Amino acid sequence: MSSTSVTRPSDLRGHGFLFQQLVQRELRQKYQGSVLGLVWYLINPLLLLGSYYLMFGVVLKPIEHDDYPLFVMTAMVVWLLVSQTLPAAGDSLLSQSALLRKARFPREIIPTATVAVQAMTFLALLTIVAVITVPLRGTLDPALLLLPFVAALNILAVQGAALALSALHAHFRDVMPIVSAILVPWFFLTPIFYEPADLELRDAPHAAVVALEWGNPVAPFVEATRQILYYGHAPGLDLWAYMVAATGIALVGGWAIFRRLQRDLAVLL
Amino acid sequence: MSGGLEAGAIRLRDATRAFDVRIDSGRTLKEVLVGGLRRRSAPGGRDPRHPPPVQALRGVSLDIAPRETVAIVGRNGAGKSSTLRVLAGIVPLDSGSVEIGGRVAALLDLAAGFSRDFSGRENIVMGGALYGLSRREVEERMEAMVAFSELGDFVDLPLKTYSTGMLVRLAFAIVAELDADVLLIDEVLAVGDGAFQRKCEERIAQQVAGGSTLVLVSHDLALIERTCERTVLLDNGRVAADGPTADVLAEYRHVLEDASAPVRGSGAPAVPAGADADRQDSAS
Repeated sequence: MSSTSVTRPSDLRGHGFLFQQLVQRELRQKYQGSVLGLVWYLINPLLLLGSYYLMFGVVLKPIEHDDYPLFVMTAMVVWLLVSQTLPAAGDSLLSQSALLRKARFPREIIPTATVAVQAMTFLALLTIVAVITVPLRGTLDPALLLLPFVAALNILAVQGAALALSALHAHFRDVMPIVSAILVPWFFLTPIFYEPADLELRDAPHAAVVALEWGNPVAPFVEATRQILYYGHAPGLDLWAYMVAATGIALVGGWAIFRRLQRDLAVLL
Repeated sequence: MSGGLEAGAIRLRDATRAFDVRIDSGRTLKEVLVGGLRRRSAPGGRDPRHPPPVQALRGVSLDIAPRETVAIVGRNGAGKSSTLRVLAGIVPLDSGSVEIGGRVAALLDLAAGFSRDFSGRENIVMGGALYGLSRREVEERMEAMVAFSELGDFVDLPLKTYSTGMLVRLAFAIVAELDADVLLIDEVLAVGDGAFQRKCEERIAQQVAGGSTLVLVSHDLALIERTCERTVLLDNGRVAADGPTADVLAEYRHVLEDASAPVRGSGAPAVPAGADADRQDSAS
């Protein structure tokens, strides 16, 4: 058996600075030379938030909820993390292939750096949303202390998916087109402009409500975040159990897939 | 790093490695699914449309002691670059094992790891990080690297303004200041101008005197005679000769005169240049 597994756990120690450099470079490269620079990282998602609100909160206005913009924003922030990170991370190994051919280092650093950049955007947005929502909704409640845990689980779950997608896309180039295609319907199936309980009011079959609530791995994260910020409740045990299990599966599965597929990255890319 | 091997020592055992020959390196799911079905149904178990993989290494064993200076020679496609990339840990083996003691610095592929939009200085930082240096280690070495490269004001300009020779200077300057235990160098020296080449050779000699091991792949026999005491001749993925440079080069010159032999030994069909294992990952 070969003893060059390219990465060994012992290699991870020496590469903290590489990780830091990749994060810095990604932050800078994207908007290098632009006047607003890093602010674009926030402007884009904020514009998305605003336009979705205009569309669904003002023009279409499907279901009555108090403070509807806040109802939407508290969920949207979670969706933005998922929908921005997966494509960026999925493409990361391909776009950094020059680094892979240069030296031996733990390959997972590359998608992880992409996730780290997106996670920073997410945390900044989440803070903005919380600062607006909590006073307006009066949800300054001990439950707010749970928000960092929900956010952490959320980021880790996305990290697991990002590891798997980046390695899969390096091997099979149609993985990312598939993901981009799925993101569109996925957005509407995620309870952002509504919550699963709304459908019950409209006499939807119970099975459909359950499927929306539990069949979509993003939904529980969306609901937990909204529960805390918008309703001021602690998420129920069922939500916690789901989030912990989903994060565990994503991390273990993503790691296993990455490990299996990373061997020939320098040759493939 | 591994197995408690002494810093600077290299042990390669029965290394084999094959490369799939594909015009387009990416696979799509459809190809995999359809290809998988076809493979199963085809007699002999192989998709007839795909050429067989190129066997770059067919059982290479090398023992290199710390402070040795070793050249690897051989005709195109003999497995020289594959050997270096295996030693660098970039390409894993199909079977066999590789162990290297200490920090490895590899100059294999000039374009690899450089970003054209970033300045020379920024690329030095990333280069150092890739080799596992910490921020402090990079900062300590920065001025020495800049000085070695002799790039002057260019070091603060983006790499897209550089000539190939200037890229070589930058790449070598990083490696020269790494204090690596093992130096793996593939030909790149040839691109610099004469004065810089001499400077690099002196630098390599200094590092060897300081305890580093050198493995050099080159077609420049004079360079090999100047820098390497030992030479390994590879032919068709196997070690054909291994010994003092003078003896092995004499044999190699013999091989070169017999120019009528096909590139990859007599058994395999000639491989198109684009698929040559030597150039598996030429600059992107």
